[in-house]
Amino acid sequence: MVSLARRNLLHDRLRFLITVAGVAFAVTLVLVQVGLFMGLLDKATVTIRNASADVWVTSRATPNVDFAHTFPETTVLRVRGLPGVERADNLIVQFMNIMLPSGAEEGVLVYGLEDFHAWHLPWDVEQGDVSDLRRGGYVFLDRSAELRFGPFQVGDYREIFGRRFKIVGATHGAASFTTAPVAFMDYRQAQELHQSLPNRTSYILVKTAPGVDPAVVAERIRRVAPYNDVYTRDEWARRSRTYWVRQTGLGMSMGVTVFLGILVGIVIVAQTLYTSAVEHVREFGTVKAIGGSNWDIYRILGEQALIAAVVGFLLGGAASWAVRPLMARIHLAVTLTPSFGAAVFAGTVLMCLGAALFAFRRVARIDPALVFRG
Amino acid sequence: MNGNGAALQVSDIRKTFEEGSQRVEVLRGVSLHVAAGEVLALEGPSGSGKTTLLSIMGCILTASSGELSIGGEPVRARHEAQLREIRRRQIGFVFQQFNLFPALTAAENVEYALNVKGHRGRAAHQEAVRALTQVGLADRLHFLPRDLSGGQKQRVAIARALAGAPPVLLADEPTANLDRESGARVLELFREVSKREGKALVIVTHDPKVRAVADRVLSMHDGLIAA
Repeated sequence: MVSLARRNLLHDRLRFLITVAGVAFAVTLVLVQVGLFMGLLDKATVTIRNASADVWVTSRATPNVDFAHTFPETTVLRVRGLPGVERADNLIVQFMNIMLPSGAEEGVLVYGLEDFHAWHLPWDVEQGDVSDLRRGGYVFLDRSAELRFGPFQVGDYREIFGRRFKIVGATHGAASFTTAPVAFMDYRQAQELHQSLPNRTSYILVKTAPGVDPAVVAERIRRVAPYNDVYTRDEWARRSRTYWVRQTGLGMSMGVTVFLGILVGIVIVAQTLYTSAVEHVREFGTVKAIGGSNWDIYRILGEQALIAAVVGFLLGGAASWAVRPLMARIHLAVTLTPSFGAAVFAGTVLMCLGAALFAFRRVARIDPALVFRG
Repeated sequence: MNGNGAALQVSDIRKTFEEGSQRVEVLRGVSLHVAAGEVLALEGPSGSGKTTLLSIMGCILTASSGELSIGGEPVRARHEAQLREIRRRQIGFVFQQFNLFPALTAAENVEYALNVKGHRGRAAHQEAVRALTQVGLADRLHFLPRDLSGGQKQRVAIARALAGAPPVLLADEPTANLDRESGARVLELFREVSKREGKALVIVTHDPKVRAVADRVLSMHDGLIAA
């Protein structure tokens, strides 16, 4: 069957290129912006997802994992005694200042634990042995720190809150949502660094016994720690994500970006399809005169919109994929999952078909009698 | 010749357009018939109602009153879908401006028209090739309209009109955009096709050369067939 839609597209290559470029731009904008946002949200929950804790105990109303408040560290003793709890340990998470060789100070997010191995933290060690952290003034620093702190080597020394620490290891991918790099150190060392921390902790990590439902254990903990909040891993991750999306306006900002991307796509596709329909009005009149219906013409425009959507999505997807390594160089992740890609593809198709509706309205009014006008 | 057994017959057709508060009567009771294999030339000055009559005979417009019959069957349809179906099966059009699809080759232009008429696949392609061969364009099947002369374009348009074997062909000023020689060849082709395939052919024209190939010539003035 002859496809007038495809042949017309190829016949007018410049218009087709403009249409596809518009769609590709919109797709790239949405994929990269939302991908970056999802990458940041991944950072917001990266420790929650990687630590082997099934339940997190927090101080009351802690909004997300980075912004921890403190509570008495003895609470952990009550948790350890509960049935279904295999292990429970205190975890300190605290923003502190690190002195750079230049004399400048920067923020670093300190994670303090007694036994990092037991909790699978840090999860991506480039260099060093986390067991060394138990020996005293030692620290693991994440490589993302190099972007803000300058290069560092294992064996270098840095001062945190005026106290010297030797860097004995380096990690990858451990940065907070705010991009502050994570430093891992011994629990007691961290506790001594900050005036608000003696005898206090930020979190209790809880590992449940095999076969025990974390939700059941969480409920038991709530009964013995009524002044704390208790979350299963998924609940805590959701709360951390929700904070950044809703409380900070980032979600709204992202929504506006997506809206603008879609708007750009609709305007370009609608404009090019509409002008194409106007320019081909005599052809469409001929289609009607020889027995074609409005639907025959809608199919032509719909097929053109669909082709623009597919080609534009492929180009936009390829461009977004190519951007990932560039972003990775500055420690920003563009998270592109298959489900996200599928959703954007479906949105692109809907966007293009929606834009074609303007052209549909135009061709529906074509009078086939125009074919007799000279 | 009376209208019995006519491939196309119009009886007392009237057409009134409303322009604002004014009513303009474009056709004021037109009757004519065309037999299968007959070539009828319809002449008349601009504004005489030729094109409106052609549109009604082609089921693109409906008459305000009167009767239209194609192949002996009265056309009582008023709904666009029914008129469209009649256009698909019964009518072939040839236009002054050719109205070919510029992005399609000669063969594709004819094949696409067949697709619109419900013919699909290889059969449609073979029918398109046959129609183009019939009008002497077997060696121009894969040419785009821009690479064809005016006469060749009109031959493609004739092949497209013939596709699907409609019993009635309606041509609107088919030689107006052609040079003298090409126009003469196209008219000869029209007559040949009409006679060989038994098509009722109506040619609306200002071109006096059409008289040479027409079996009958009717003139229109002010919405009426002149005596």
